Amino acid sequence: MIASFEKYRQAFLVGLQSNIVYRWNFVVRGFFSLFHLAVVFILWGAAFAGTEKIGGFDLRQTLTYFITLLVLQFFISAFNEDYQISEEIRNGLINQFLLKPINYFLYRFSIFVAARLVTGALILLPLLIALPFVHDSLTFPVDGWRFAVIIPALTLSALIQFSIAYCFGMLTFWFLEIQGFVILSMAIESVLGGQLFPLDLLPESVYRVAQFLPFYYQMYFPGAIITGRIDLTQALQGLLIQTGWVIALLLLNQLLWVRGLRRHTAVGG
Amino acid sequence: MRHYLNVWLASARYSIVRTLMFRGDFLVWSLVEFFWMSVNLLLISVIYRHTQSIAGWSQYQMMLLVGTSMLIQRFLMGFFWSSIFDMGRNVRTGNFDFFLAQPGNIMFMTTTRKLDPDGLINAVVAGGVVAYAAHQLNLHPSLLDLGMYAGLVLCGLVIHYSILILSVSAVFWLTSAQGVEGGYFTLTEFSRLPREAFKGVSNALFVWFLPVVVVSNAPARILLHGFDLGWALWLAGLAAGWFALAVFVFYRGLRRYASASS
Repeated sequence: MIASFEKYRQAFLVGLQSNIVYRWNFVVRGFFSLFHLAVVFILWGAAFAGTEKIGGFDLRQTLTYFITLLVLQFFISAFNEDYQISEEIRNGLINQFLLKPINYFLYRFSIFVAARLVTGALILLPLLIALPFVHDSLTFPVDGWRFAVIIPALTLSALIQFSIAYCFGMLTFWFLEIQGFVILSMAIESVLGGQLFPLDLLPESVYRVAQFLPFYYQMYFPGAIITGRIDLTQALQGLLIQTGWVIALLLLNQLLWVRGLRRHTAVGG
Repeated sequence: MRHYLNVWLASARYSIVRTLMFRGDFLVWSLVEFFWMSVNLLLISVIYRHTQSIAGWSQYQMMLLVGTSMLIQRFLMGFFWSSIFDMGRNVRTGNFDFFLAQPGNIMFMTTTRKLDPDGLINAVVAGGVVAYAAHQLNLHPSLLDLGMYAGLVLCGLVIHYSILILSVSAVFWLTSAQGVEGGYFTLTEFSRLPREAFKGVSNALFVWFLPVVVVSNAPARILLHGFDLGWALWLAGLAAGWFALAVFVFYRGLRRYASASS
């Protein structure tokens, strides 16, 4: 058990090192995210100019939602894991894992956790710079239950994010080029994950359908818990559905891996 | 000049033949761009479900603005995106040597090698969005207005091209431009906002310092309010200035390039 853990600890440490190499990229990316935040502030500030509340929430609550999502993105989102997996399959680098006693999913997940630790730490730098400007826009509810629920919600969200990226990576066994699918999925995720606008602004019927899709649990769900857009009952129901999606996606990952390997041809020594 | 036109035509022919070979890919990428455009229009429709105006702009005025912004971006995607995106990778891997050995202007050769018909197809869709919004607003622009609109869209394309070159040229200093390229998309988000929404620091930064707002607002204004010489000169001047800056930074960066191959 300990020996098995050690393998993935080493993968995690390698992941840390390789991500720290590109630290400036992440910092620059973080700074560009502040520009995105500026767009959000300007757009929603203008939208709120003629009205006190939109969807039952005021401007500060709406801006807090977007700031929260931006920060969460650096801690739990899959960035380019799908592309990395795809490259490993396409270039045959995956062959080495077939000959070793290592679980490819756990190996990639260890690297994903390391990468998010690095990007999460690095976003704090631009965030600290932005804090004096956005401080007045922040307003968080202080219900105790939110602190208890948010940890499992975030963990499950990260698993969903990674599992979806892993699934897209696995598609390389069937398709030569997956970038198109990935970016297509990003468009869907940005809408149904609540990154474009809070999902509760959608028509009621569409919002209800969105609650049963995995994208809802990628970003919107933890963001909504933190910023007070959902109550305890909705949060608990959400956790159940989220757990269901994690299990379903893990099974799908395994299925794609097994089926994909049947199609895989390893060439060379 | 004719030499470069022939080179570009040869590259365009190659790109189209390649697209015909990978028709599935073409379909997927066309859908990708179409989805992203739909996402932007969806955002507008959701916000206007809850409010009447954004900085004094009605829903269809905003749609015209967003359509114009998308039109410029689709042209950029169609004519330049793949080549400039590849530049980042090629500098990192050393494959950039290939362009240095070509008989012609390096920046031209690097940034015009590939054409993406999917981006150009969606430019038609973006044009359709602009036309639909203009129809809903009951606008009847004159031929001169339409000509000026096309001219300012071209200026906008030059500015977008220059910003993208500036973003990706960071690869000469950072080794990897991954994520930095995304900065271009972040900056172009501002072009979907009306100029009146910017106040104080944001006005100084995004309207006056960076050309990201005027790039779409100037052509959209021509359709909405008729030709305005001030806006047209402003945009043309910015296009010239930013292009000169992009050329300068690209060649400064090139001095740092050390082949990674062999």
